[in-house]
Amino acid sequence: MKIKKLFKSSLFLRIILLTSLFIILLIGGFTYKHISNLTNSTKIVIYTYEVNVELENINSYLNEAESVHRKYMLTKDSLYLENYLIAREKINTSFVQLKQLTIENVKQQENLAILKILIDNLFINFAKTDALIKNDEMSTETFKTLLFEEKVVLDTIRRQIDEIINLENKLLNERQKEYRSDLRFTPLIFYFILLLTLVIIVIALNKINVDLIKIKAKNDQLLIFKESTNQAEIIGKHGNWVWHIDSNIFTYSDNLYRLLGEEPESFEANFDNFLKFVHPEDVDRLTIDLDKMIVNEELPFVSYRIVQKNGVIKYLKAYAKAFYSLDGQKRLLGITSDITDEIENFLVLEERNLELERNNKELSAFNYVASHDLQEPLRKIQTFISRLEEKESDKFSEPGRQYLERINSAIERMRLLIDDLLQFSRTTKPDKVFVRADLNELFENAKQDVAVAIFEKKAQITSDLLPEVTVIAFQIQQLFLNLLSNSLKYSQKGMNPIIEMKYSAVKAKDDSNLINAPKNNYHKITFTDNGIGFEQKYANKIFDLFNRLHNKKDYSGTGIGLSICKKIVENHHGFIFAKGEINMGSVFTVYLPFS
Amino acid sequence: MQNDYIYIILADDDEDDRLFFTDAFGELGMNTKVNTFNDGVELMDYLNSKEAILPNVLFLDLNMPKKSGIECLNEIKTNTKMSEIAIAIYSTSASEEDIEETFVLGANIYIKKPSDFKALKKMLSEVVSINWQYHTNGLNKDNFLLRM
Repeated sequence: MKIKKLFKSSLFLRIILLTSLFIILLIGGFTYKHISNLTNSTKIVIYTYEVNVELENINSYLNEAESVHRKYMLTKDSLYLENYLIAREKINTSFVQLKQLTIENVKQQENLAILKILIDNLFINFAKTDALIKNDEMSTETFKTLLFEEKVVLDTIRRQIDEIINLENKLLNERQKEYRSDLRFTPLIFYFILLLTLVIIVIALNKINVDLIKIKAKNDQLLIFKESTNQAEIIGKHGNWVWHIDSNIFTYSDNLYRLLGEEPESFEANFDNFLKFVHPEDVDRLTIDLDKMIVNEELPFVSYRIVQKNGVIKYLKAYAKAFYSLDGQKRLLGITSDITDEIENFLVLEERNLELERNNKELSAFNYVASHDLQEPLRKIQTFISRLEEKESDKFSEPGRQYLERINSAIERMRLLIDDLLQFSRTTKPDKVFVRADLNELFENAKQDVAVAIFEKKAQITSDLLPEVTVIAFQIQQLFLNLLSNSLKYSQKGMNPIIEMKYSAVKAKDDSNLINAPKNNYHKITFTDNGIGFEQKYANKIFDLFNRLHNKKDYSGTGIGLSICKKIVENHHGFIFAKGEINMGSVFTVYLPFS
Repeated sequence: MQNDYIYIILADDDEDDRLFFTDAFGELGMNTKVNTFNDGVELMDYLNSKEAILPNVLFLDLNMPKKSGIECLNEIKTNTKMSEIAIAIYSTSASEEDIEETFVLGANIYIKKPSDFKALKKMLSEVVSINWQYHTNGLNKDNFLLRM
């Protein structure tokens, strides 16, 4: 859009330039015409003047001829006759001159022809009188007639000359008038055109000025953009380069030099100089990639290492795309980023992962020790005690038998602890397999596991229909089992436990427990019992490992069961909440996200 | 190999367990002959020897020095001469991995060592009186682990 505008502006300037050139040519033409008019006008004046002069000359020569002729008549001296002839000659010369001058004017030519006849008549008359004078017949009537005729002819000649002069002056006047009108308008046109040119030039200048301001503003923006790009490159650790493929010239951005560990512009930007930095092991691969890049006109991300002059190895990643300039020159525009930090972070992460894996292995080993080696001596103690009770019980005193019972219950407790701990560590193991499972089935299995307690305590368990969900099946079964056995364990004395399992699908936004939940939809499963309950202030604490709210003697918990529940629910990206009231019962609510 | 008694072998590195085992069979009063070995190497040396009598039931502890129960199981089941021996895994732990692995390798039953002598006696008498032919045909992962 802006480029179009600029183009328009340059077109505008071009039009103005052409117009100005045209006007200057016009002015030149006008000036030429004007000057040639002036010249013509002057020529005409000079011409008329010359004609007049010649006519005056003829007039005066005629007068001279007449006067010389008179003198001759009086003196009869032939010397005067000679002067007369000279005058005659001069008249002829002037006449020829006149004829030449008025060659273009037919009227004047006619007038001159008449004049010529008159002059010839005059001279014929002169000759006639001369002949009479020679014969001394001056007093004759013929002579007098001749003299009279001579006077008439001379008058006619003068009138004729006057007429020619008048005609010539009239002509001069007419022409001068004509030119004068021309000359009067020419300066006006000149002035108008000049004004017009000035206006156009002023408009053009203004336009140029406006464009200059715009270009300056654009330049400023470009400068800012360039500077911000520089800054961005420094902060983002990347640089850009342009490869003019046809001329094999490179341009590097300042930061690209810095990525290579050099000062900007510190070496000539070309391919060979760049390859000097590339890690020797990566040169071949990179060269192949670059060749591909020229053919495909697009470089997929390539990673390679460079070695800076101080020996530091950096990891770089480059991307390039071909583009063509307006004149069809092929160029590759590339971005190169320093990904050393990413790689190093990745390596650190990998190292941590390995460490974690090692830790997990150690944990597994510990599991084995706990499950096997710890249980073994315990089992033996129990077996030996069972043998003692069986074979030697009659030999024990009453306190001795009580001690044996105490030992047995202590061992039983230790066994429980080991089993629960094992269970807990199993829920933290990373190898979990999510499968689609029918939760009803898992719930039934859990119920089977506590069937003895249900029977003994005459518990009533009601349950809603559960959906199929993608879960770690054995963990969810464990969750149900722990919640059920929890309710059974903490039942009120002398009261049949009633356990209600309810299910509903909820939207996170509709449930106050799920305000910060990441998913939209959850399965909500609640376990409500009529047991001893607990104080609401312990609602969060009961999920902590080894946390117990009750006396060991009264309730045989290890403080691990609910921690396992929490762990399992967390493994499924769900939530578990407890709500309790002393001697009224407790409610455990489990939320599992929709898969 | 048709004897009038049931020949039983136990390979277990734990002296106490061997004692419980032989005591239990002693008290059961069944027509059995029990032979015990201290580890897997001893067991396999015996089974591979010429004078060896192949047992009716072989009780195999998993965690043994020198040669583990798993290794013994593998050797026996891949040896055509011995592959017919009924093998009962007799272990302290009953981890999923162990159960899975021994089942796949072809063991016939998995017993978790009980912590009560009475229970032990009951368990052993049950195992010895199993009709192996029948048991093996209907064997699956669910009834592989002996539950009392």
